[in-house]
Amino acid sequence: MVNRKLVSKALTMQRRKPTVYSTRWAMILCVLLSPFGNINASLASDTNTISAEKTTVINSQAKTSPCYLDGMAEQLQCGQITVAENPAKPDGTQIDIHFAILPAIKNTHPNEALLAIAGGPGQSAVEHAAGFDRLLSKVRQQRDILLIDQRGTGQSNILNCEDSSVTSTLAFDDESIDMIAETQKCLDQTTADITQYGSETALTDFEAVRTYLGYNKLHLYGVSYGTRMAQLYMRHYPEALATVTIDGVVPMQQSVLAIGSAIERGFQLLIRDCENNTACQQQFPELLADFTKVNERLAKSPVTEKVKDPLTNEPSTFLLTRSKFVGAVRMALYTPAVRALLPHAIHQAANEDYQAILGIYALSADGVGLAMGMHASVVCGEDIHRITEQMRKDAKESYVSANMIDGLEQTCEVWKMPPVDDDFSQPINSDLPTLLLSGELDPATPPNWAALAKKQMTNAKHLISPFATHGVAAQTCANDLIADLVNSNSVKDIDASCLEKDIRRSFYLNANTVEPQLAQAAPSTDDDAASQNATGTDKE
Amino acid sequence: MNKLIAMVRKELIDAARDKRSVMAGLYYAIGTPLLMCGMFMVLIGQLTSPEDLNITIQKAQNAPDLVRYLGNKGINAVDPDSAEKGPDIKDIDIKDITLIISDDYAENMAKAKPAEVILQADNSNEKLQKSIQRLKRELQAYNAEMGSLRLIARGVNPQVMQSIKVNVQDQATPDSRGGMILGIAIFTMIYSVFISGMNLAIDTSAGERERNSLALMLSHPISTRQLVLGKVIAVTTFALLGLILILLISKVAYAFVPWQELGFSINISTDFMALMFAIGIPVALLASTLQLFVSFMAKTFKEAQSYLTMVLFVPLALSMAASYNIAPDALQWLPVSGQQQALMDFIKGKDIPMMQLAVSSAATIIISIALMLGLEKMLKSEKVVFGL
Repeated sequence: MVNRKLVSKALTMQRRKPTVYSTRWAMILCVLLSPFGNINASLASDTNTISAEKTTVINSQAKTSPCYLDGMAEQLQCGQITVAENPAKPDGTQIDIHFAILPAIKNTHPNEALLAIAGGPGQSAVEHAAGFDRLLSKVRQQRDILLIDQRGTGQSNILNCEDSSVTSTLAFDDESIDMIAETQKCLDQTTADITQYGSETALTDFEAVRTYLGYNKLHLYGVSYGTRMAQLYMRHYPEALATVTIDGVVPMQQSVLAIGSAIERGFQLLIRDCENNTACQQQFPELLADFTKVNERLAKSPVTEKVKDPLTNEPSTFLLTRSKFVGAVRMALYTPAVRALLPHAIHQAANEDYQAILGIYALSADGVGLAMGMHASVVCGEDIHRITEQMRKDAKESYVSANMIDGLEQTCEVWKMPPVDDDFSQPINSDLPTLLLSGELDPATPPNWAALAKKQMTNAKHLISPFATHGVAAQTCANDLIADLVNSNSVKDIDASCLEKDIRRSFYLNANTVEPQLAQAAPSTDDDAASQNATGTDKE
Repeated sequence: MNKLIAMVRKELIDAARDKRSVMAGLYYAIGTPLLMCGMFMVLIGQLTSPEDLNITIQKAQNAPDLVRYLGNKGINAVDPDSAEKGPDIKDIDIKDITLIISDDYAENMAKAKPAEVILQADNSNEKLQKSIQRLKRELQAYNAEMGSLRLIARGVNPQVMQSIKVNVQDQATPDSRGGMILGIAIFTMIYSVFISGMNLAIDTSAGERERNSLALMLSHPISTRQLVLGKVIAVTTFALLGLILILLISKVAYAFVPWQELGFSINISTDFMALMFAIGIPVALLASTLQLFVSFMAKTFKEAQSYLTMVLFVPLALSMAASYNIAPDALQWLPVSGQQQALMDFIKGKDIPMMQLAVSSAATIIISIALMLGLEKMLKSEKVVFGL
């Protein structure tokens, strides 16, 4: 007798697999990430390991067997299909594609399912079952939710790079890392044909799982990098789709490495929001100057601090480089609650107190849950050759993106992927009912990216949440709108007014509070700047 | 044999002649599933917390972040002062829950002391319970998130707060979660077996005697056994007809209730219907023999009615007890409750306890045969035949 959505939403934020992914890479290279499993993971975190513990298959004919997934108490259905690693060589190496079904509560549409596609690239969808379940609980009332571990992630022949050396992530110097050697080491570890782990090959697995399970139509929900998979699905198998929702959209027309300007924009919005907020403005009047100050200090030389390890409390050395600092700030921008701590953290850092930055850094220091090998296969095949002059110019001004592009170019020298055809960059032509979601504050995929993706979609609606960051459905009422779309098969009647509800988080004013004391501040500290760019459909 | 068939035909024609009382017997089978489904549709709305939960928050200005956080979770603050102003404010359903934010909230929070909020509500009000729990849960979540952020600000990983990780693996299946409601549904079906044939049982025994046609019947060249069998078959047929009706109507009606809002589904499958019917046959036999036996014992029609109501309580109590999970294991072996348990296990997707089902069905049949033999003996006595 429980309203599932509410129960689960309460225990938001969690779970990620603590595999030893190459953590060094992760911080520097990961381009997109999805709202699950990144740093908001640890806020109220509990669970960690995946326990796709399979009970015996009762019926050998059954396509799935009961299983339990991390963070979900109920029994779900898991299964796998075997496909050729290289579709052109059907008799060559075979790999297993694992999937999980969250069965509909009352299955009124047994021939349909919603396929939820994770981000990254490199995140496992099955590992994030609990997050998707919360998000899509309304859809699940009447339809199955299908999660597939894309090849190279999760349990589907994961391509990750394990660290051989177990040095502390706190002390190591990420700026002196030899990316080429690291990549080579990773490449030597794997026996897989890395060229087969791009998006288009993975798409054939998705379609194979769909036909295997006998669903006539799929509804898609793709988030972050998952939006690319969803768009490819629209391009190659439109007949298999009913509706599409893409959240935090990466348009086909451009490389994800254009993210540099998005990160910059996300940071500028943080500065703006703080300036427009009376309490934040009073407390941190020089926020931008503070940030620049820390950057300049760290650019001269990294700071070494004696600290207690954030997790174990062991005395440790914390080497704070500029790239670690900027990386931590960038990661914090993804999650509204952590973003709220940034002004305080930056201000303290400017005053040479790095505790808060250490705390934020530690959230993502033990890896962000990406299969870095698969990540490289995607980026090196689909994005690296699409870097434009404009992007290089932008990158010169953005430390983060310059760092990222440099690192990835070195990686891709070793991680050789044939570049995708030029057709890959064509916009998606589609008349499928498509909902595009963007967060105004998104530090990865800003609203104009979705507008670009929408160009040749004739039956699409683009909604912008003024207060969300990356992954709108997880932060706002947009998950209800997905259910509306799935139920009505049409974007026309979607009422997006709920997105305008003010759900901003107040900034931390010190290490303890978000609420200004009324004696100091005016009773209404709410700014109106943010509400000016009110939600609405994209009018183009 | 021919005589027996003629006997059954006579009974059925006799029963069908009085259409109103036939229908009265079957109204139950038609009406119960419809009523139950209607009731559940209303109850589900009452039991679940509304998507937009409107509560009163006093001094909301002391904690704007908290208020917005709750708003994002669908818990909306309605300003008590503006309640009269808005014209459409009356349309909004405001739950009788008040959250009062203390005046020193911000001051305490800034010093990392616990900041106080007061939650006022009547926890004994069942309609509010879900909403109160939901509000508490969200406050807890806010509390946890804020605690985590405070640790991050101090350079501590919030994971340290989680010393053990509990991963629950619930053995329930989607079907078994609806166990209680299924128990009631099966109960109504078994009940229909007893109700549907009852009118006929009284009419064909006590009624026939009152109309003085029983003696006439017995004067025909048929054995008492044939007479008893004829009546039993006729009543059993009616009982089973009621069962078929309630199964068909349940199948349609239950599909309309939005069970998914309670987190489970209730599906009356054809497999279940077939099993229910098969298991229902011995139960119907027991019901008809029991009802005939009691009716013949009574002296008048009215008396039969009163006795039956009392006697029927025994099998129904068994069935009802078995529909709760707390039933003692012994019930699995008894007639009626044994069958009910087997049906519940089937619909929950468990293995049917064949042994228990066999024993309870056999017991049901043995009791029925004993009652028939008793009837046969009874009808040889003039006292019974003439109701002396």
